[in-house]
Amino acid sequence: MLIDARNVTKAFGAFKAVDDASVTVEEGDILGLIGPNGAGKSTFFNCLTGDLPVTSGTVSFAGNDVTRLPPEARAKLGLARTFQVPLTFESMSVLDNATIGALLRHPNARDARARARDVLQRVGLGHLTDAPAKSLGTPGRKRLEIARALASEPKALLLDEAMAGLTPTEVREAIELVRRIHGGGITIVIVEHIMEVIVSLAQRVVVFHQGREIARGTPREVTSNPAVIEAYLGRRKVQHGAHL
Amino acid sequence: MKRYLFPGVVLVLAYPLLAAGYPVWERLGALVLLAAIGASAWNIVGGYAGQVSVGHAVFFGFGAYSAVVVYTHLGWPPIAGAPIGMLLSVAVAAVIGVPTLRLSGHYFSMATIAVAELVRVLSSTSEFLGGAQGLTGPAMPRTVFDLSFLSATPFYYIFLAVLAFLLGLTWWIERGRMGFYLRAIKDSERAARSLGVSAGRYKLYAYMLSGAFTSLAGSLYLCMFGFVDPESGFGILISVKMVVMAALGGAGQLFGPLVGALILVPLEELSNSYLGGRGAGLTFVVYGAIIVIIARFLPSGLLSLFERRSAKPAAKSEIASGHAD
Repeated sequence: MLIDARNVTKAFGAFKAVDDASVTVEEGDILGLIGPNGAGKSTFFNCLTGDLPVTSGTVSFAGNDVTRLPPEARAKLGLARTFQVPLTFESMSVLDNATIGALLRHPNARDARARARDVLQRVGLGHLTDAPAKSLGTPGRKRLEIARALASEPKALLLDEAMAGLTPTEVREAIELVRRIHGGGITIVIVEHIMEVIVSLAQRVVVFHQGREIARGTPREVTSNPAVIEAYLGRRKVQHGAHL
Repeated sequence: MKRYLFPGVVLVLAYPLLAAGYPVWERLGALVLLAAIGASAWNIVGGYAGQVSVGHAVFFGFGAYSAVVVYTHLGWPPIAGAPIGMLLSVAVAAVIGVPTLRLSGHYFSMATIAVAELVRVLSSTSEFLGGAQGLTGPAMPRTVFDLSFLSATPFYYIFLAVLAFLLGLTWWIERGRMGFYLRAIKDSERAARSLGVSAGRYKLYAYMLSGAFTSLAGSLYLCMFGFVDPESGFGILISVKMVVMAALGGAGQLFGPLVGALILVPLEELSNSYLGGRGAGLTFVVYGAIIVIIARFLPSGLLSLFERRSAKPAAKSEIASGHAD
C-alpha cells in the first residue's frame, strides 16, 4: 500500500480535530475524504502531507515511516499536494511556477523548464505559459496548483478541495483532468465536499465527522448510510405539534 | 534593460577618466561601488529570498574588524583579513541563521536587529577590538599590499572588479535551481516546501553567501578608510543603508542595489558636505522618508518602472487570452 496512516490523532489544546483515524490508500486508488465542514478532513490531509505534525499515530508513505518528516522530505518521496486556497508564486510566470515543481527531479533549470512546459500543455494551460501567474483567476490557479504538483513527478497527488469555487462546467473539466492524471498512473487522494465530484471520481470513500471516521466504502454505500446522512443533514426530530 | 547595458559598462569603466583631477568625484565613484557591493550582497538573502535582514552590519563589521585586527595584532596588510572575515561571517551566519531563519517576516528582521545591536555593544567593550575608540589601519603604506593610495581611483577599480564578480555570481545563481527556489520561498514558503524545496537549507545558504560578501565589503571599507569603530562597523545605519539601497533600486533584481547606491550615495555625500556634522541626524530622517515612500508607492523599486513599461503589451494579451479560456 502506498499511504498508511494509523491511529492518527491531531489535537489543538484539548480539542481533537482528528481523533484516532486510520486510512490506507493502495497504489492506483482514488480515495475520497468527505465530511461536513469542520469534520477534520483537511486537518487529517495536512497530517498526511506533513504540514501539521501529528499528536499521536504514524504515517507511512511508499514503505517509509514519514511521521516525523517535514513536507519537503515527503515531496521528495513522491507525495504531492494542492492547497485549498491556491498558494500561487505570485511574482512568477505560469511557466516558472510549474518549473519550481519540475526542478525536484530535474536539477538543471533548462530541463526543468522543458518538463514544466509539457505538464502545462497536459493540464490545459499551454497557451498561458508566459503569462504572469497573478493574472490567473481561481480556475486557472487551481489548475496551476495541479500542474506544479504534477511537475514534481509524484507517486500520489493529494487534492485539497481542488474544485471549491469552480462553476459546474469548470468542475466537470476538473473531474476530467483528475481522471486523466489517474489514468497516467498516479494515486489520488481527494478532499472534497461537493458530492458530485466524489461520486463520479472516487472508488472508495472515507467519511469524517467531528474528527472521527464514521463510514467507509464505495460512494454508493456511504451516501446511503444513515450515519452519514445524519452527519450531513442532522437528525430528524419527531416533534408532536410542530408546524413545520 | 539590455540596450542600456553596453553604454552603461563603457561609462562605468571610463568614469575615473572623466573624474580625474576632481578628488571629490573620484571618491564618490568608489563610494557608490562600495555601497553597491554591500547592498548587492544583502540582496541575495533580503531581495531574492525575501528574508529582510536589518542586521547585516554584523557581517560588515566582522569584515572591517578582521581587516584591521590582522594589522594591529599581527602586522599583516589589512586586506589579508578579508578572507578571515568572510569565513568568520559564514560561520556566524550559520549560528545566527539556524534559529532566526525559522522566524517569518518582521520577526526575522527584529531578531537580526537584536543580534547586530548586541554585537555592537559587545564590540565597544572589547579591548581586543579597541573598545569604543575603534582601531586604525596603517598610517603610511609599508608595501603595495596595504592598499593605501593617494587617489580613490585604484579603489574604484578594485571595487568594480569585486562588484562585477558578485553580480556575475548572483546572475548565475538567479538562473539556476537555487535562484528559482529562493524566489519560490519568497512568494510562498509553504507551497515551495510542498514541492520538495528544503526552504530552511536554501535560506541558510543564501544567508551565508550574503554574509560572506557583506563582510568583504566591510574589509574593503577598512582598506579605503583605515579606521573602524563600533558605530561605523556594527551600527544600525550600516544595515539600514543596505536595505534602503536595494529596496529603492529594486530588491530581488540584479541591478537594483547598484541603482539604489547610485542615487543614495551622492545624496548622502551632498547632505554631509552641506550640513557637516549637523547632517548626521538628518540622514536618518532621509532614509526614513525613503522607506515610507518606497513602501507606499514603489514596493518593487525604481527598476520596476522600466520593466513594467516594456512588459505591459505582452502581459495584456496574455490576460486577454486567459479570459477567452
